[in-house]
Amino acid sequence: MKICTEDIRVSFQAHEILKGISIDAKDKEFVGIIGPNGSGKSTLLKCIYRILRPDRGAVYLGGEELQSMSVKSSAKKMAVVAQHNYYNFDFSVREVVLMGRSPHKKTLERDNARDYEIVEEALRTVQMGEFGDRIFSTLSGGEQQRVILARALAQQTPALILDEPTNHLDITHQLLLMELVKKLDVTVISAIHDLNIAAAYCDRIYVLKDGQLEGCGTPKEVLTPEMIRRIYKVNAEIAYDSKGKMHILFL
Amino acid sequence: MKKAAASDKKSSILRTSLFVLVLAGLFVFLIFSILTAVTFGNADLSLKEVYSVIAYKLFHIKSLSSYGEGAVHDVVWLIRLPRVLLALGVGMALSVCGVVMQAIVQNPLADPYVLGVSSGASLGATLALMAGIGSIFGSNSVGVMAFIGALITSFAVLAVANMGGKATSGKLILAGMAISSVCSAFSNFVIYITNDKNASAEIVRWTMGSLGGASWERVMIMLPLTIACALIFWTQYRNLNLMLLGDDVSITLGTDLHRIRTVYLILASVLVGFAVYSAGMIGFVGLVIPHIIRILFGTDHKKLIPLSALLGASFLIWCDVLCRIILKNSEMPIGVLVSIIGAPCFIYLLVRKSYGFGGAK
Repeated sequence: MKICTEDIRVSFQAHEILKGISIDAKDKEFVGIIGPNGSGKSTLLKCIYRILRPDRGAVYLGGEELQSMSVKSSAKKMAVVAQHNYYNFDFSVREVVLMGRSPHKKTLERDNARDYEIVEEALRTVQMGEFGDRIFSTLSGGEQQRVILARALAQQTPALILDEPTNHLDITHQLLLMELVKKLDVTVISAIHDLNIAAAYCDRIYVLKDGQLEGCGTPKEVLTPEMIRRIYKVNAEIAYDSKGKMHILFL
Repeated sequence: MKKAAASDKKSSILRTSLFVLVLAGLFVFLIFSILTAVTFGNADLSLKEVYSVIAYKLFHIKSLSSYGEGAVHDVVWLIRLPRVLLALGVGMALSVCGVVMQAIVQNPLADPYVLGVSSGASLGATLALMAGIGSIFGSNSVGVMAFIGALITSFAVLAVANMGGKATSGKLILAGMAISSVCSAFSNFVIYITNDKNASAEIVRWTMGSLGGASWERVMIMLPLTIACALIFWTQYRNLNLMLLGDDVSITLGTDLHRIRTVYLILASVLVGFAVYSAGMIGFVGLVIPHIIRILFGTDHKKLIPLSALLGASFLIWCDVLCRIILKNSEMPIGVLVSIIGAPCFIYLLVRKSYGFGGAK
């Protein structure tokens, strides 16, 4: 499914956070959004997944305007894995993932055997098949994020929005989570902090700074020493390893 | 893969059947509680007499027709049974409201009493009783005023707690205490200036909670209302679960909770209002009962609502029995007894910082 935004503008009081952002993600494309803290990455994603309503501009999911869709039907088209959060409840892992089925349910409809199958399948996909009965809050941060990814998979959506999902995770879990997402056959838009992770997984990257688009293209086109100096004010060097994989070295 | 699916199925059947078993067990215990509780009381009646009256009234068995009237009939059918059934209704209402309010404010310390909703209902009822306000609502004006009081306070507490940022447990409880104090101050003011001795004695008894005023008339309002609301909330388990994840996550899962929350708060206030009207102020039931169920069965509202409803109903029936037998020749106010049990539990919950909607840790 194709996702695009058209001239998104958001201000808080007098301060303009997003100054007319238009991006698009083609069907099954992995699109990354990078930029320094406060550049508006999260704000842009929040407009896409409906937590924020932009002052101007529009978001289109598969050609349909977002605000004209019901919350339920947009939740059938995109699922969200947000920044890792502490939760104040003791749901079991299975119960958390089962909530991913709610957009597919009518008001009085009960959960059926098919829903439970989907839940178990999603848990196995994120390699958490054995954790169904565990209490969510007792898991480590990395495990919790994988459960949240399983919940997003249970939504069975053609698109996935990732809002810095690997924040606070150790490198093992960061790579594991991105690897799992990369294997999915869906459109992905992800805010990414780590430039090496962006380089490794994105098909295309948008660069945001001070609420404006500073560049767009494949990792090789975008992640140049000049761009990194301009955006992040650090010197960097690009190296390629024996497998041809791109690495950014900060000097 | 197939093997895994089969074992999933097996474990899910096991989980479901455990829940059904406990649900059925609690239901049987509730029936047992009703049948046992009617045998306790001041009048010295034999078991045979008690059950004969009930059997005659329910099934109109001809051979028992002598129990169709007289002193024994009056004690069992007009005094004891309504009282037990009212305890059932009020206990169920308070527990279910506790669960729902905890979901609404996303905090396991919420409860109609702690949040001051009971005090609001009490103020409404006091105004109706003492000052005749709300007489346009007819014979149930006291109940309706109690509901209005409950509704206004629940919104007021939410508003105060949400001022200057999202409500935290500390702010919520302080707001509840503050608004509760305002309500009791006004209640006392009204009682003082009307200076009606009989009525103030009535109000004092009422703030301590009592099921003594039970009648079939009250039971017939309270019981159907409670069961209907409990069933409605049971069907809403998915939304209640989502509430605990917060508004933002719920939107990404296809549910906008904004309006739903208000509707639930109104329904819960109706229940609290009528519970306070029928039995006065009984605190902490909505706190303790859901807590026990969460420790045993987790936070899923699909299980939490029905189990809390049944356990709460049985709990209040037995508390009422205790109240009747604990003091010789006199009756202990049920609100006092329940608070003696419930308040320490509340303190325990406050102290235990790690508490997060359940206890499986």
